[in-house]
Amino acid sequence: MSKILLILVGLTGLMAGQTKTYTPPRTPWGDPDLQGVWPGTDMVGTPLERPRNFGTRNVLTDEEFAQRQERAKTQATVDSQETVNEVTKCDPTRGGLGNTPTTCKDGVSIGPPLYWDDRGKPGRQASLVVDPPDGRIPALTAEAQKLAADRAAARRTRPCSTTAGGCHDSWEDESLWDRCITRGTVGSIVPNTYNQGNQILQAPGYVVLRNEMIHESRIIPVDGRPHPGSAIRTWMGDSRGHWDGNTLVVETTNFRNNTVVGNTQATESLRLTERFNRVDANTLDYKLTVDDPKTWTQPWTIEFPLKSEPNYVLYEYACHEGNYYMYNALKGARVEESKKGSK
Amino acid sequence: MRTKLLLAGAVLFAGARLWAHHAFAAEFDISQPVKLQGTVTAMEWINPHAWIHLDVKGPDGKITSWMIEGGSPNILLRRGFTKNSLEKGTEITVDGYRAKSGDTRANGANITFKDGKRLFLGGSNPDELPQAAR
Repeated sequence: MSKILLILVGLTGLMAGQTKTYTPPRTPWGDPDLQGVWPGTDMVGTPLERPRNFGTRNVLTDEEFAQRQERAKTQATVDSQETVNEVTKCDPTRGGLGNTPTTCKDGVSIGPPLYWDDRGKPGRQASLVVDPPDGRIPALTAEAQKLAADRAAARRTRPCSTTAGGCHDSWEDESLWDRCITRGTVGSIVPNTYNQGNQILQAPGYVVLRNEMIHESRIIPVDGRPHPGSAIRTWMGDSRGHWDGNTLVVETTNFRNNTVVGNTQATESLRLTERFNRVDANTLDYKLTVDDPKTWTQPWTIEFPLKSEPNYVLYEYACHEGNYYMYNALKGARVEESKKGSK
Repeated sequence: MRTKLLLAGAVLFAGARLWAHHAFAAEFDISQPVKLQGTVTAMEWINPHAWIHLDVKGPDGKITSWMIEGGSPNILLRRGFTKNSLEKGTEITVDGYRAKSGDTRANGANITFKDGKRLFLGGSNPDELPQAAR
């Protein structure tokens, strides 16, 4: 009896396994067809790192999921009822964005109106980081810690570091994103804030990955050619792809030495490995491993699903031409200086 | 109620925003809140942020032109906002903060029409969004 039961369980498992194996359609030249529009908007609300109390568990319980849904509802109410500029209570001793001495003045922080951001759809995934198993970005190497400490110390010596909004002495104080140059290879696809549209196009020997934020288009050869020499360094790095079964594997190197991943500045040793695996007609599993032995003590991996949304339009985001922010911030800093000078 | 909502916003916002975009405190002066009542003269649909141009009549009858920062055109479009949503000649009131540069520019925190209806309704429910621009 128990043998029959075991066989039945085994068969059921096998059948379940078979139904889960999806074979993507093929392009006319025989590559797996991943083409389509795959926005990451749903995942915007999922934190990058996992709260420590979750340990190695990356799936929310029913209760935690209900709490996340409740928070999303509250957020939607806040967004719809309070269109006042992000005037919120803050505390500089608490740390984190909006709580730094430069963004928090008299207990009030300033930021964009709430309706400018996408909020995502509450899901059960606890964090985008899946490896290390605790969902936390690994520690920085001693070398990277020293670099970060040196940069922070240098910042503190500048008088502008204590003014609301921080230092804007020069265009170099602005991030690459603020300058409309790029949000970087990682920041362009990891869900955050808005403009989460992604599109994949294929041609014989090539895959093109478009990101809506700062309208990036990575044209990725999948014909086995090597990376260019190490003297060639670009904002988005150099991507080379190959097929591992039905999975597209993209390796990106040749980054400049000021590439920011998350909130950390990586080095030229940065290597990204992305895996795009179409697990069903409407789901593209996206996996990204970040490896820079000079910055982190071990590689770490982000994973999340991208959902097909054929009606999503990737709007143009040519942003440099109309970026009045640069003028406003830099002129604002000059005005602050002249005020200080006249005191 | 308002305070409660603001506090809830602060907590949620802090958790959700890992990589911030433009530093608002660099651009606008929190100590200079403005309330502007005026007539729309143009709207610039430009990235990364749209800008509304507004003529504001002072107590002396003198007209001053202001520029008001809005959200990104992409997100405004997804919120149901179209080029017809804010036509030239529309009278609006803007609550915001003036630019640190001292120019007649401000961010558009709260924008209301003459009848008290708000220009944006925000929210995450896409079904409600097209109404936001009516």
